Amino acid sequence: MKVLAWRLAILIAMLAVWEAVAAPLNPIFYVRPSALPGALLGMWRVPDLPPLGEHVWLTLQEIAGAYVLAVAAGLWLGFLLGLRRTVGRIYEPLLAALYAVPSVVWYPSLMLFFGLGSASKIAFGVALGFFPIVLSVLAGIRQVPATLVTVAQSMGARPLTVFRKVMLPAMASTMVGGLRAGLALSVVGVLVGEILGSRAGIGYVINYAYGLMMTREYAVLAVLAAVAVLALDTAGALVEARVRRWAG
Amino acid sequence: MGRLAVLACQVASLAVVVLAWHVAVRTGLADPLFVPAPGAVAAALGSTAREALPRLGDTLLKTLLGYALAVGLGVAGGLLLGSRRLVHAVAMPYVVAAYGVPKILVLPWIVLILGLGTSTAVLTATLFSVFPILVMVAAGVRDVDPTLVTAAVSMGATRGQVSRKVLLPAVLPSVLAGMRVGIVFAMLGVLLAEMFAGTRGMGFLMQRMAMAFKASELFAATLIVSILSIVVVLSLEHLNQRLSRWR
Amino acid sequence: MPGGATTAAAAPIVLEAIGKRYETASGAVQAVDSVSLTVHAEEFVTLLGPSGCGKSTVLGMIAGLVRPDAGRVLVAGAPCVGPNPEQIALVFQDGGLFPWRTALDNVTFGLELRGVPAAKRREIALGLLEPMGLRGFERKYPRELSGGMRQRVAIARALALDTPILLMDEPFGALDEQTRLLMGEWLVGIRRRARKTVLFVTHSLLEAIALSDRIVVMTARPGRIKDVVDVALPFPRDLNAPEVTDLRAKLWEQVREESLKAMGTRP
Repeated sequence: MKVLAWRLAILIAMLAVWEAVAAPLNPIFYVRPSALPGALLGMWRVPDLPPLGEHVWLTLQEIAGAYVLAVAAGLWLGFLLGLRRTVGRIYEPLLAALYAVPSVVWYPSLMLFFGLGSASKIAFGVALGFFPIVLSVLAGIRQVPATLVTVAQSMGARPLTVFRKVMLPAMASTMVGGLRAGLALSVVGVLVGEILGSRAGIGYVINYAYGLMMTREYAVLAVLAAVAVLALDTAGALVEARVRRWAG
Repeated sequence: MGRLAVLACQVASLAVVVLAWHVAVRTGLADPLFVPAPGAVAAALGSTAREALPRLGDTLLKTLLGYALAVGLGVAGGLLLGSRRLVHAVAMPYVVAAYGVPKILVLPWIVLILGLGTSTAVLTATLFSVFPILVMVAAGVRDVDPTLVTAAVSMGATRGQVSRKVLLPAVLPSVLAGMRVGIVFAMLGVLLAEMFAGTRGMGFLMQRMAMAFKASELFAATLIVSILSIVVVLSLEHLNQRLSRWR
Repeated sequence: MPGGATTAAAAPIVLEAIGKRYETASGAVQAVDSVSLTVHAEEFVTLLGPSGCGKSTVLGMIAGLVRPDAGRVLVAGAPCVGPNPEQIALVFQDGGLFPWRTALDNVTFGLELRGVPAAKRREIALGLLEPMGLRGFERKYPRELSGGMRQRVAIARALALDTPILLMDEPFGALDEQTRLLMGEWLVGIRRRARKTVLFVTHSLLEAIALSDRIVVMTARPGRIKDVVDVALPFPRDLNAPEVTDLRAKLWEQVREESLKAMGTRP
């Protein structure tokens, strides 16, 4: 209880400070939190702003596309490197090296190749999102206790059965963590791609508002996007907790 | 498979990829406007490197500044967060939330206030890299084996002695791990800021090359930045290994 | 009885009806209840009992790490108010060695805290490690040592401060049986030479018989003293002797009852 009270107090304090600091300053640069709800309600009537609905829908589609591809690629690569010892030994260090590169360096090349449309955003989302998935598959395979596999084999289970009934459940907790991180990164990838250069999507609208110095609208959009991402991640966390409880 | 054999396979695989790439461009499978031939990229390396060098220096400088700030804040914050139960319980959801929100959303506002210069890039770098460091250090503090603290206290250690002689060395691996992750994020932040709204630096250069369809130069630049960051991270990793021989 | 003469000096450890209760999520738990004991100088006393019977808590109260809710603890005649590095040294079950320090640096830790100069520290530490058979291993990290070696380093660390009292909480618990027995023999030798008062916690009957002058049998939670048994056998002890077997049977009868209670079954 004490903890919750403190948390609430901090939240209120932060909002209060933000409000107090921004009040006397130029509203074009500094948005007050109290101005946000009004801006939110008025947004749909602002003529300059592009229609939000279709942009939001487009972004959601891009995220879905990116994530599905990231999961497919991530799982495939993860199992390939994890189950085939030699292949893993050769290519995993290369993957680790790739992980050391700040992902945004790929984006200009992707933009060059795929253009400014959705494809480059999806590609970037895949590039970001598939990493945690591959890594979690590799980690998951590694931490399957060898004794479990031995027990199953000694009971006469065939390789496919061992995989399905022993390895997958044992890996579930680790993998779901990676799948969750992959989702978060796919979202970030799509958003970054849109903000850095696009003609449609939430990022585009944010850029648009920012470009026209419509700071209040930009702030509302940013806050909404942030809340949406957090909500998505919280949902992911709940799923992860569920899987962990089941997988033991 | 011996280490040499593994290395040989890695080199061979890379060679095969480059060859396939070359063939694809040659036979027109890939449009040279979008996908430059490996030969063209190699040729462009020289000129790109010369153009890139000052910009790389600029990017690196901003990275290091932002990184230093993030390490200072992250380690201090992490130590505080990890050692006090109440602080940890109260603040952790906010830290996790801040970590989970895509920081790019704040970038336009930072540019609005601070402009297109160095401070924007440095602030972005700090923002991106402080969170992983904070979280990892806090976890490291909480993971310290309480028996070690008990042992020290039973031998008469004062609070200061416990902090210096037990907590600090125990937490060091987590700090180093956080720092290793942090440098990549710091570089990411700087490049992102430069791509979004910069006039100097590698990010800006690469973005400009993309817009001008200078494919060979862009690939060359991407290669240069990639190799640089791999080298930086590998060195940090090596340092990490040296300092953690006891693990 | 060892150390026969009752001198004017106070007994090293006196427990006067100490008790401890813990608040847990499911209510209050009485870990230790009304334990009274006097440990005499240079005596080796073992606390024997099932897991969870509060043996470690008793040790914690003597060491000044846990505050009793009832009664009081007297160490060398003075009430215990906190950690007492001048009088008491501890050895933990998993060693509690600092993993980032070599064996040597682990042993010198306490001496460092006291400001003993480096050369002297090294001398003392080597002097302790060598008779333990750890010569040549002083620059190794705990990770590189076997379980038995780690415990020896932990004991050396405790001996380095040259305190009159040694508290040992299941120090050989994590070792395999053979190593355990060997360590027991070795400890007997050390104890004789070092002339320390030792309070030892274990759940192993054989270990208790092999090492102690007196065995204190504790009940299941809440931990009380069930019985105190003298072991008046000469050292080194032949574990196959009939007296040992008898004693073991007698102890087992008592401990078994308490163990079953601890497991939640009626005896």
